[in-house]
Amino acid sequence: MTAMPEILKDDAEEIERLIGKYPSRRSAMLPLLWIVQRRAGWVSQGAMEEVAGILGVTVAEVYEVVSFYTMFQQKPVGRFHIALCDTLSCAICGTHEIAAYLAEKHGIEMRKVTGDGLFSMEPVECIGACANAPALLLNEDLVGDLTPAGIDAMIEECRRKAGATAAAAR
Amino acid sequence: MPEVAEWERVLLPDIEKNETEWLAAYLKKGGYDVARKALDMEPESIVAQVKESGLRGRGGAGFPTGMKWSFLPKGAFPRYLAINADESEPGTCKDRPLMEQRPHTLIEGIICSCLAIESETAFIYIRGEYYKSAKVMEKAVAEAYAEGFLGANIFGREGKRVDIVVHRGAGAYICGEETALLTSLEGYRGYPKLKPPFPAISGLYGKPTIINNVETIINVPYILKNGAEWFKKWVHERTTGLRLYSVSGHVRKPGVYELPPTVTLKELIHDYCGGIRNGHDLKFVIPGGSSVPWLKPDQIDIPMSHEGVAAAGSMLGSSAVMVCDHTVCPVWALGNLSHFYKHESCGQCTPCREGSSWLYKIVRRIEAGGGQPGDLDTLYSLAGEGTPGSGMISGKSICALGDAAAWPVGSAIKQFREEFEEHIETGKCPYRERKTSYWMANGGFVNESFDGMPVP
Ligand SMILES: Cc1cc2nc3c(=O)[nH]c(=O)nc-3n(C[C@H](O)[C@H](O)[C@H](O)COP(=O)(O)O)c2cc1C
Ligand code: SF4
Repeated sequence: MTAMPEILKDDAEEIERLIGKYPSRRSAMLPLLWIVQRRAGWVSQGAMEEVAGILGVTVAEVYEVVSFYTMFQQKPVGRFHIALCDTLSCAICGTHEIAAYLAEKHGIEMRKVTGDGLFSMEPVECIGACANAPALLLNEDLVGDLTPAGIDAMIEECRRKAGATAAAAR
Repeated sequence: MPEVAEWERVLLPDIEKNETEWLAAYLKKGGYDVARKALDMEPESIVAQVKESGLRGRGGAGFPTGMKWSFLPKGAFPRYLAINADESEPGTCKDRPLMEQRPHTLIEGIICSCLAIESETAFIYIRGEYYKSAKVMEKAVAEAYAEGFLGANIFGREGKRVDIVVHRGAGAYICGEETALLTSLEGYRGYPKLKPPFPAISGLYGKPTIINNVETIINVPYILKNGAEWFKKWVHERTTGLRLYSVSGHVRKPGVYELPPTVTLKELIHDYCGGIRNGHDLKFVIPGGSSVPWLKPDQIDIPMSHEGVAAAGSMLGSSAVMVCDHTVCPVWALGNLSHFYKHESCGQCTPCREGSSWLYKIVRRIEAGGGQPGDLDTLYSLAGEGTPGSGMISGKSICALGDAAAWPVGSAIKQFREEFEEHIETGKCPYRERKTSYWMANGGFVNESFDGMPVP
């Protein structure tokens, strides 16, 4: 059974180009899941069915992959998702303070989505920004050398972007 | 404090500027001349030069690169080259600036290496967290295709082909292990495979495959251009060439430092990185990425070569130096690293999956004040003495992640036995009591409350 593409309906060309790069169709698994996550913000059951259909594998095989890689979200997250590094170099340089600051000042709490759906946060293992500790990923961008002022600016920028999209939609 | 003179840098001369060198700038300074030259060389003579230079893998194990290349079975095609840009050993952050600042040097390195091993296809496997690196590499690869430097008939040479595919991971430390990287690239969970067969015999899609780290491959064009003797200008015993040291933690100036292997750990910390911050004292150093044995302050006067660090009882690994000052509780730090390995075990082997989880639970229990009298013995029996093969995990699982989870445990207890015992005997962490810092005063780390671990 092949699901009719919904999330990926506008990506047919890009998907064929990606698949064509590899000696095996299945190698396009992670690239396709990345497109899904960019479009939908997370990887739903429906999305997995679409990917399975395109690659000619079972949904179970797609789920096996999705559940293995921590960056694929299996539940909806905020429009701006924060992945805060908590491995040694970051942890000794202030991860804990940053987590507390985000919660107290901005109401962004671990493993929760804010009421307005704008923000969510999770702790993650080393993100390779050790010399710029403490660091986090804001969606797909690395932000390092975190300070309270830097956090304020980052959050404000997110809110500004969200405001701009809302205005454009009106 | 002595000021260090400007030192010679080759790979990342302007790292502070953090600018990408795009094709036009690269061509202006003679970029891709080495790749053109390599087209006229016999593959064997490229391999011979790399062998002669003494270049060893920068990914962690330090295996001689030229030797690895010569393990490919004769006459077996196609062959693949996989560039390991998973960079996920905690503390390591040097492949990212290489890709983001010098993408074309890496591409030229890939072309030269493909010519050497007679491969027509290379994959760059970039960890998912490095979105910018992947974007920069994609764009640089497109530039190189547009110029005819990649694809069919490269540089107008009939019949010579090199294709590069940029591939993103999605958050899994284990995909840095070479066989896991290949299974991940094939579209599966990143499960390591038992060796042998080694990837050089049967790798990606069952074909002969060479896996090399980004920093390893980016050195190749410089070696072909300047010669093996030039590369051996920087030498300590059997470690040659400049290398990138990632320094993080409690130093005044953390960063990525390009230095010869003769630099001592002491110079690196105190001269280049400005010493320990806030006038604090050094407590311990992890000199080669999170899995290697710890060193105490009286052990740091050692050259940062494979041999120098090994003589002190640790490993150079990925040259990632993590520095902890006297505010850091060693039991807590070990708990943090054990959490990492527990989280990143792929789960295929029982000793690694269960063992890493037990290690974490016992270490955290001790830190939180609930340590039991036999805990250190239990840790030792699980993790061994921090030497290969000792204990119930090391050498008893498919890949080296099990070893990596075990090694820091034995070494931390050996170095700080009294402090572990004090935690168990008094039922509390003296660092928390003294509130040596915010996080220590509050205990644990942000991950902790979600592990379902009862904290006394
Ligand atoms: C658990 C584990 C994680 C690893 N992670 C990395 C990594 O992130 N980057 C890397 O280059 N090598 C990593 N390695 C080493 C690779 O398996 C492999 O030896 C290396 O990429 C070979 O390249 P080189 O010879 O150029 O160093 C890891 C090994 C293990 C066991
Ligand atoms: S040792 Fe650990 S990470 Fe490696 S294959 Fe076994 S379970 Fe997986």
